[in-house]
Amino acid sequence: MADFLTAESEADALEDLHNRDLTDGLPVVIPTPERVSRMVLASGQDADMVLGTMGPGHGIATVEKVAIAAVMAGCLPDYMPVVVAATKAVIDPVFDLTEMQATTHCTAPLIIVNGPARLSCGPISSSYGALGPGHRANASIGRALRLAMMNIGGARPGSSDMALLGHPGKFTYCLAEDEENSPFPPLHVSLGFQEEDSVVTVIGAEAPHSVLHSGDGDDPDNYKGLLDMLAIGVANEATNNAMLTKGSATIVLNPEHALVLEKAGLNREDTAEEIHKRCRFENKRLNKLSPGFAPKTQGTRDAFNGPEQLLILMAGGSGLYSMVMPSWCAGAHKNSPSSVVVESEFFCEVPGLASLADAS
Amino acid sequence: MRDGINIAKLGIPAVALVTEEFWPQGDFVAKSLGMPDVPRVQLPHPVAGTGTENMKAIAARVAPMVIEALEGVSG
Repeated sequence: MADFLTAESEADALEDLHNRDLTDGLPVVIPTPERVSRMVLASGQDADMVLGTMGPGHGIATVEKVAIAAVMAGCLPDYMPVVVAATKAVIDPVFDLTEMQATTHCTAPLIIVNGPARLSCGPISSSYGALGPGHRANASIGRALRLAMMNIGGARPGSSDMALLGHPGKFTYCLAEDEENSPFPPLHVSLGFQEEDSVVTVIGAEAPHSVLHSGDGDDPDNYKGLLDMLAIGVANEATNNAMLTKGSATIVLNPEHALVLEKAGLNREDTAEEIHKRCRFENKRLNKLSPGFAPKTQGTRDAFNGPEQLLILMAGGSGLYSMVMPSWCAGAHKNSPSSVVVESEFFCEVPGLASLADAS
Repeated sequence: MRDGINIAKLGIPAVALVTEEFWPQGDFVAKSLGMPDVPRVQLPHPVAGTGTENMKAIAARVAPMVIEALEGVSG
């Protein structure tokens, strides 16, 4: 069971939580026992069920503690199965959570949601401004994971989270894939899951970097310019991907750019392969730029182990800009992406409980 | 959209060309600038970068609509 705090009023409780460094700096919903119970109920799991430990503080993430984070973040109970899946995903050892939380690099878990949970646990936006303000599920699900990483994982800026500046995606960083309009199969299907599954994929990600491409329907080779630009964005020589290598990265295509690639006959795998081939650097140049991280030998070096390290999805409005997120590329497992099935079939809601909790 | 409204405010007949993706934004701008009924014609999305032939075909399709809208403005 979590420890209880008491306060005279919700306003006092909020100040107390701020003073105890239990918030992200913004106001939170006070996690009263009633609200937390309702969130636990929505998970369909026992409150004391252990999801794992979260570094660097190695706090034990129970369903109840994750529910506290979800309440504080402003989640609806509907979102809880996605929050639980995202928590399990970052706890997976391949994600190197402890090291990632502690690094000086600017990285945050980007939460990508696929499958029916995009609607049943949301709606989680995959459209205009999906990574910006104005989408409750996107905002609060990502924030819940961050609060869990801080309050269960113990990450605090300057003492246990040593990110030199961090980035705004550390407040919240969550979107869905626009499966309905994408020319590619849903990301989770390409990762080996069933289409009817709902899957949360987390990947360590820098802030989104815009990649500009204006198509030219008169030039059959125009798509190559788009591939070149995506490659420059996702692994230019200033990124950890180019310098440390062997880490993953994210590419969020806007619908217009996805269409350009589809018309060129490229599927997701082809696109990843083409970008992978373009992320190859002369060792001599890497040495000149940053000798500490560059190989001393002649020849070239790839940023990625292979095309499978590029996560490509489609989201956002239609236009000139796609987004790329380079990554940290360190940790024992190179901070690998992790995917977890959303267990939404356990979702549970008791009629009348909502009004009871709201009234409390 | 804003250009069309500013030109219309100068008393010059104007029709804004707005793609279907940006149609709601066009409505918002028109309302916020106090001219909710400013004439506009819808284009498919995208237009830019879709090739000369396609753009010519779109132009041929919407030209009569633009003229019709202008006639409404001046008439």
